[in-house]
Amino acid sequence: MILNFFDQFLSPSLLGIPLFALAISLPWLLFPTPTHRWLNNRLMTLQAWFINRFAFQLMQPINLKGHKWIMLFTALMLFLISINLLGLLPYTFTPTTQLSLNMAFALPLWLTTVLIGMLNQPTIALGHLLPEGTPTPLIPILIIIETISLFIRPLALGVRLTANLTAGHLLMQLIATAAFVLITMMPTVAALTSMILFLLTILEVAVAMIQAYVFVLLLSLYLQENV
Amino acid sequence: MLSRVVLASAGALKTSAPITASFLPVSKSFHISCQSWTPVPPLPEEGGKVRHGLFPEEFFQFLYPKTGVTGPYMFGLGLSTYLLSKEIYVINHETFSAISIGIVILYAVKKFGKNVAEFADKLNEAKVQKAQEVKDLAMSSLQEAIEAEKKEQWRTEGRVHLFDAKRNNVAMILETNYRERLHMVYNEVKKRLDYQVGLQHLQRRLAQEHMVNWVEKSVIQSITPQQEKESIAKCISDLKGLAKTAQAKV
Repeated sequence: MILNFFDQFLSPSLLGIPLFALAISLPWLLFPTPTHRWLNNRLMTLQAWFINRFAFQLMQPINLKGHKWIMLFTALMLFLISINLLGLLPYTFTPTTQLSLNMAFALPLWLTTVLIGMLNQPTIALGHLLPEGTPTPLIPILIIIETISLFIRPLALGVRLTANLTAGHLLMQLIATAAFVLITMMPTVAALTSMILFLLTILEVAVAMIQAYVFVLLLSLYLQENV
Repeated sequence: MLSRVVLASAGALKTSAPITASFLPVSKSFHISCQSWTPVPPLPEEGGKVRHGLFPEEFFQFLYPKTGVTGPYMFGLGLSTYLLSKEIYVINHETFSAISIGIVILYAVKKFGKNVAEFADKLNEAKVQKAQEVKDLAMSSLQEAIEAEKKEQWRTEGRVHLFDAKRNNVAMILETNYRERLHMVYNEVKKRLDYQVGLQHLQRRLAQEHMVNWVEKSVIQSITPQQEKESIAKCISDLKGLAKTAQAKV
């Protein structure tokens, strides 16, 4: 029995044992290890195909030095997409609704890209602070703005994912509650609300996948600038 | 003793790799099968059968002998009634959310399941096809090699005729050569003989002419002047006599 709509975002714990680690590591079970066989079953074939396609797609714009990041990005993508999609099931806990998790992913990775850029090619990295073709009087202001935008990137990354998922889950809960309460009083309105809930669910599925992809894509973009 | 057998047969059996393992006394055979002390059964090619997308077929088969066809459904109905009536499963807003996501998942599986499965099968099929192409290419090239070899063997059968023809050719050439030389010899000999004959003719003619000239000269020399006068006087008298007769005729 939930008294408070934000209880779904509480870190789960059983008898005082935090289950957060379990919640994070559950998706690992859903990705079977590649077998030593030449021809696999459908799940393995699809998994291998998806990972290969995704890696190829992501690494295309990045030069050769950035290809070291491919494993990290693919793993991150699989992790986020599986956690997000699993969170849509009822009574599940979505770890990515926790800002701490998302910031823990966003901040170090963003910082790595910035440091790589600054250490290896400082001129180019600093040059990114000024877009091409700006009129001369605007240059000082623009550099300040670009620096602020640079430092706000990790925050944006983390908060984007958190906010999207939290908002989606909250909205689904609210509309479901509305439908649940209205079904006794005004069944037709409840039916309408259920329709909205259904559409929202579809949206949430899309958002779950897109947000995971956007997270990784943006990180790859930051890498592309700096590597 | 076995080691001697090994040494003797090692060279002969070097190329016959699959037979080697069964002949050579080895304690471990290589690459015959996947080595494992806990042999794992092979992966099934198709997924397990499910009814209504969720429940394995084996469950229904398990209950069939005791409860018949409706057994599992009664079990499901009973279980859900128990959970709902005892409020072990409480209906709240999450139920609605569960229903919506359930509908979405079911719809996605029903609509795209077959396509996804076919896609996965196509990927595997393409992999097999590539290997099959290599195998087919190898087989066809080997087949062509066999055909070419057979043709070469047929050609070697006809080698005898080739040699006979060549032999005849050479014999004919030799014969022609011999005949030519014979002809040449004949011509040369004839030329020489003709020369000798011509020479003889010439000599005879020269001798004849010389003799005739000598005879004429001696005859002319032998005619004395008196004889000459007598012969001229005779000629004149003859002529006179002829002239008379001639005059008389006319």
